[in-house]
Amino acid sequence: MNLFGFALGNLYRRPARSSLTIAAISLGVASIVALTSIAWGFEASWQRANDARGTDLIVTRLASENAMPSPFLADKLQATLKGYPHVQEVVGLLSEMLSVGDNAPPVFVFGWEYRSYLWQHLRLIDGHLPANDTDADIVLGSLAAELLHKKVGDSVEIEGRQFLIRGIFDSPAVVENGAVVMTLTLAQQITDKPGKVNILNIKLDDHASDSVIDDFKTRVRETLPGYLAITSGELVRKNAVVRISKAMSNATTLIASLVGALVVFNTMLMSINERTREIGLLLALGWQRQTIVKLIVSESVVLSLAGGLAGILIGIAIAGGLEHVELMRGKIEAVFSMPFLIAILGLSVVLGVAGGLYPALKAARMLPSQALRQE
Amino acid sequence: MVRIENVALHFDDGKTTALNGISATVEEGEFVAIVGPSGCGKSSLLNVIGTLERPTTGEVYFRCQPYSNIADASLFRRQHFGFIFQSFHLIPTLSALDNVVVATIGCPGPAREHTQRARQLLAQLGLRDRIDHFPRTMSGGERQRVAIARALINNPDLILADEPTGSLDSVSTEQVLGVISEIRQQRGISIVVVTHDPEVSGRADRVVSMRDGKIEPGKEYRQ
Ligand SMILES: Nc1ncnc2c1ncn2[C@@H]1O[C@H](COP(=O)(O)OP(=O)(O)OP(=O)(O)O)[C@@H](O)[C@H]1O
Ligand SMILES: [Mg+2]
Repeated sequence: MNLFGFALGNLYRRPARSSLTIAAISLGVASIVALTSIAWGFEASWQRANDARGTDLIVTRLASENAMPSPFLADKLQATLKGYPHVQEVVGLLSEMLSVGDNAPPVFVFGWEYRSYLWQHLRLIDGHLPANDTDADIVLGSLAAELLHKKVGDSVEIEGRQFLIRGIFDSPAVVENGAVVMTLTLAQQITDKPGKVNILNIKLDDHASDSVIDDFKTRVRETLPGYLAITSGELVRKNAVVRISKAMSNATTLIASLVGALVVFNTMLMSINERTREIGLLLALGWQRQTIVKLIVSESVVLSLAGGLAGILIGIAIAGGLEHVELMRGKIEAVFSMPFLIAILGLSVVLGVAGGLYPALKAARMLPSQALRQE
Repeated sequence: MVRIENVALHFDDGKTTALNGISATVEEGEFVAIVGPSGCGKSSLLNVIGTLERPTTGEVYFRCQPYSNIADASLFRRQHFGFIFQSFHLIPTLSALDNVVVATIGCPGPAREHTQRARQLLAQLGLRDRIDHFPRTMSGGERQRVAIARALINNPDLILADEPTGSLDSVSTEQVLGVISEIRQQRGISIVVVTHDPEVSGRADRVVSMRDGKIEPGKEYRQ
């Protein structure tokens, strides 16, 4: 038996208390894992949609911080931007969350300029892209098709208008997979925003370097008051939904960590109080105070690490479950990276040390003779 | 080996006096019994000798080293003292073997060697087939022998025993005393034992009587 074996034995001695502590920590860690993975998933998913589209820069209204920037009239601005150096295409995009059909949850509806480069990254699984700008034809992401129980040739009603599903596609980004895509003209008609777009997507030619992008941004800032040119990554980080979800995940992390540390603290404090005589004995046997600290902190770290491991599994399960809830399907996507999971385990260790340190120091400071006298 | 000079020990800001100016010595290899009425300060004296309690005034020397100069009392205890208590103080969740090994945690050297030594000691004390038993399944005499093995595992110079037979019947007392005599013969360890039991004090080289935190003059006798 070594120090660690002794620590494990001490935890095993109170199976109910140890399990309850582990359960409490695991719930806290699970909520951190689920919310954080989804918050990151939001960002990653929107970023991937923009990357897949091949968009280099996005021009929006300056003040926009909504989930989607607020719409503006695009005509004149579009013509101006087309004149900038290295610009290949300037494409309007309108997007809205709309109910499709009667009982289905709302989905993203994207309006993309007909025949623009935006359509090129979609991989059609079935059917075709819309044949012209004005026929009431749409394509569905594969997830949206599944959610709405629709196939090519079916029709759906959006904002009181019947649309024919011409094709079903797959996209690298879950937000697009869960969306309905139509031409910009149709989207402007059904949302009653003629001539308006949320953002202009700029595609530069292959020779455009970072300095071209910087020059473009500067020129927009200096010559087009009220507008802003940013990269898709910057847009995503400015996105209110991304920001709110990140703030929520940060707040959850903070609260759950505090609660976790308090749970460990409480458990270890109870534990050393009922083991006072035993700690006095160990001190009398010549245990160094630092060995006592190591013992108690080992016990608390084992508890928190076990809770952390269980919490990761539960958190992954919760995030997976949320992804499949009808309302969320195709809008969220949890992202788990190895560094993230390692950081969570690191956090668990920190919780264990933070919660166990005071009880450990308290135990180590006991006077052996007093502790041995304790009933 | 141990020299106690004018030691006083007060508790509760001086309201309680446990030791009231005691001077005494313990020679190398000596077996000293301390007797006296309840509350006279016997345990306190033992604790002071064992560095479990710091004297309020006075000084104690171990082989000429003053206690006030000891930097690490834990280390000092581990190197020089073995403790035995009336209530055994075994850890209920550990086997006999682990109750002995626990005293070596944090000691230098491989754990396997410590475990090996603990086995040998338990076997020497007649507990070969009790090694994996837990305290609750052992008799009082067996438990106290486990505690003696624990006190011996780090090769102490001095055993400090506080009423070691106080919880034992006469048969177990006989066993434990036998074991203690054997250890003395084999190892030449010094022993200071606090006891009410004439069986125990009868085996000591010297018996010291205490009263009211002091040694009773003229009542000390050698055997
Ligand atoms: N930690 C302490 N705090 C306060 N008072 C104490 C403490 N330890 C001992 N005392 C007091 O000091 C006095 C001597 O106690 P001690 O335990 O040394 O007596 P004892 O001779 O061992 O008695 P017994 O035979 O009952 O074990 C008693 O009055 C006791 O109440
Ligand atoms: Mg006593």
